[in-house]
Amino acid sequence: MTLYRVEGLSLTLGGEQRLRGVDFEVERGGCTALVGASGSGKSLSCFAPFGLAPGSAGGSARIGGDELIGRTEAELRRLRTRVGFVFQQPLTALTPHLRIGAQLAEAACAAGGARPDRRALSAMLDRVGVRDAEAKLDRWPHLLSGGERQRVMIACATAHRPALLVADEPTSALDAALRDSILALLRGFCEQGMGLLLVSHDLPLVARHADRLVVLSEGRVAACGATDALVTEPRPAAVARLWSAVPRLDTPLDARPETGPPLLSAEGVTVRYPHSPRGSAPAIADAGFELCEGEGVALVGASGSGKSTLARAVGRLGPISGGMVRWRGVPLPPRARMGRAERAWMQPVFQDPVASLDPRWTVAQSVAEPLRHLRPELDGAARAVRVAAMLDEVELDPALAGRRAATLSGGQAQRVAIARALAAEPELLLLDEATSALDMMVGARLLDLFERLQRRRKLALLVITHDLAIARRLCHRLVVMEGGRVVEKGKTERLIADPVSPQLRHMIAAG
Amino acid sequence: MRIAASAIALILLAALIGPALSGWDYAAIDWNAVRAPALSDGHPLGTDGVGRDLLARTLAGTRVTLAVASAAALVALVIGTAWGAVAGWVGGRVDEAMMRLVDALYALPFMFVVILLMMVFGRSVLLVFLGIGAVEWLTMARVVRGQVLALRERPFLLAAEAAGAPAHMILWRHVLPNVAPVALAYLLLTVPQVVMVESFLSFLGLGVQEPLTSLGILVQEGAQEMEASPLTLIVPCAVLVTLIVALNRLGDGLRSRLA
Repeated sequence: MTLYRVEGLSLTLGGEQRLRGVDFEVERGGCTALVGASGSGKSLSCFAPFGLAPGSAGGSARIGGDELIGRTEAELRRLRTRVGFVFQQPLTALTPHLRIGAQLAEAACAAGGARPDRRALSAMLDRVGVRDAEAKLDRWPHLLSGGERQRVMIACATAHRPALLVADEPTSALDAALRDSILALLRGFCEQGMGLLLVSHDLPLVARHADRLVVLSEGRVAACGATDALVTEPRPAAVARLWSAVPRLDTPLDARPETGPPLLSAEGVTVRYPHSPRGSAPAIADAGFELCEGEGVALVGASGSGKSTLARAVGRLGPISGGMVRWRGVPLPPRARMGRAERAWMQPVFQDPVASLDPRWTVAQSVAEPLRHLRPELDGAARAVRVAAMLDEVELDPALAGRRAATLSGGQAQRVAIARALAAEPELLLLDEATSALDMMVGARLLDLFERLQRRRKLALLVITHDLAIARRLCHRLVVMEGGRVVEKGKTERLIADPVSPQLRHMIAAG
Repeated sequence: MRIAASAIALILLAALIGPALSGWDYAAIDWNAVRAPALSDGHPLGTDGVGRDLLARTLAGTRVTLAVASAAALVALVIGTAWGAVAGWVGGRVDEAMMRLVDALYALPFMFVVILLMMVFGRSVLLVFLGIGAVEWLTMARVVRGQVLALRERPFLLAAEAAGAPAHMILWRHVLPNVAPVALAYLLLTVPQVVMVESFLSFLGLGVQEPLTSLGILVQEGAQEMEASPLTLIVPCAVLVTLIVALNRLGDGLRSRLA
């Protein structure tokens, strides 16, 4: 029986038609997934009928027979009580100053229900798989892990027993290891007759859970049908494109590039933050790794395992309290005494591409920054030539050189950041989750770029990632971290075939 | 915001070129027209209790008030930005010490400090705006420090460090330009505050000296003449209120647009 049916949905936003005739439906007790690259209109299709997206919507969307399009805000508000919403960011979707129990109670009352008692609240948390539910009711949101927060969000969204649950990228902000279990939890609600509408760019992931897939591209439905029919080979072109965008642990790889003599070695690195209480464990304890010329080494681990802190300490971009870092066998000076030559050896690329460029600077100024400081002998004209060469290297249109960073897309901004890093002619790139803030398709093209740079420039890469498939694609060796310590390290293929630490086993099982 | 900007532009223009066009000197006494009503003997707004042209005096007073206010706001901008940027950028104990000093200064009854300065060094326009500016920078310092703290976490500063930029260059080329829009919006909000303080000091008789005038002095004089010639109170009050409301509106608008 159809619970929610959308027919010929269109949306005009700022004079531009963003959705054209989108059709899909959600069965009672079934799961439909909207998938597509960013900008394909999947989030708009899911929120526009409920009046939660900007722009003016046309067409038809019926929930349990009631039309949503063309309703007033007051009518929509009443109809929305039949729906629960789960959003991408579990961090920001919870109110920071309300304890978990209070948030849940508020969510349960929002649809007009009675205020639940404590037993009912802890049963709600229990149902979404939060361990030790009774105690968690009194916690503040920031004391919960990302996965627990998303479970609380799901508990809030389902507290009033909606007929339809809409989840927009519910797992994108979470570690790979948690994604399947969250989707399985959402799927579990279908057995009680709830309809589930999932929105995601990760096609292989949702394909394991959804009954029906709707692939969107540029505001149109590019393919739709039962999941099994769409994902078994041969796949329709629109499905195949999304399918291959996500790196997998079983994708075949080319031979890895040759490596040279040792480049960087870190031993016994310890990082202790100045304001942490006495006797507490340091952020990084006695960690180390080695890296050779042209080699890729990945620091992998769950979020909060200290991989970024370790990389910044070693790269002299963050605090370090102890340990020895050597570059070609010679000790590297401390952060404050890093000279021009030393800075040029290593260059970072960060996770958030937009925040890593000064919003007031043009692309050309940003790319020229290392040249200005590290190669003071170059004059303006010589710098401009190099900037153009760098933009070409990262496959960016030279016409972008005059644009401000704020006007770029995420993928473009990240390419500018890479061009800036390459301008210093480094021997090592620190890639700190460099693709994880980007949409999968854009991220996949950046991985191609990194691989090409690695081969062409004999660049060494220190890759910080929570995604084992990315590590496997770029790196000769893995360093697995947990709680600020290195728990396992070795050759990528050997570790993936025969993991020892529970952390790595867990990551492989999730990937 | 557009109305506020036009009102400010109009008042500025009038204060700058008005005195030259009004035909009367702000200090000249017309013995034939003491307490003249509006539109009489070439005095469009009449005269005050000693026969001075009200329009000329209001224009001159606005000019003095605006000059004092902008100078004081600029002093606040320079001190506040420098103090807040250094505190936020250096961080740690230095930040702690610098901001506690700001807290301590906040706790002083600053009107009292200005009055005290005036008693010690005598009355002068320079002292009025130095005194006001030296106290008004406190809020600016807090605002700028907050902005710098928020910026410090941005990866583009780390990237600049990796690109070999020395700390003072990062502060000068990345941090300050990104703080500037917000600081400028607060500058516009500081101006009406200073206008208020200046008017208040003048009203108490501690501001600029006769025959030089300011909006505060005019309001004070007008209050004494209120019954005989109400315009002498209404006109400077109207200018003062328009100025303060318009500046606040513009500053608020800019702040929400930029911050």
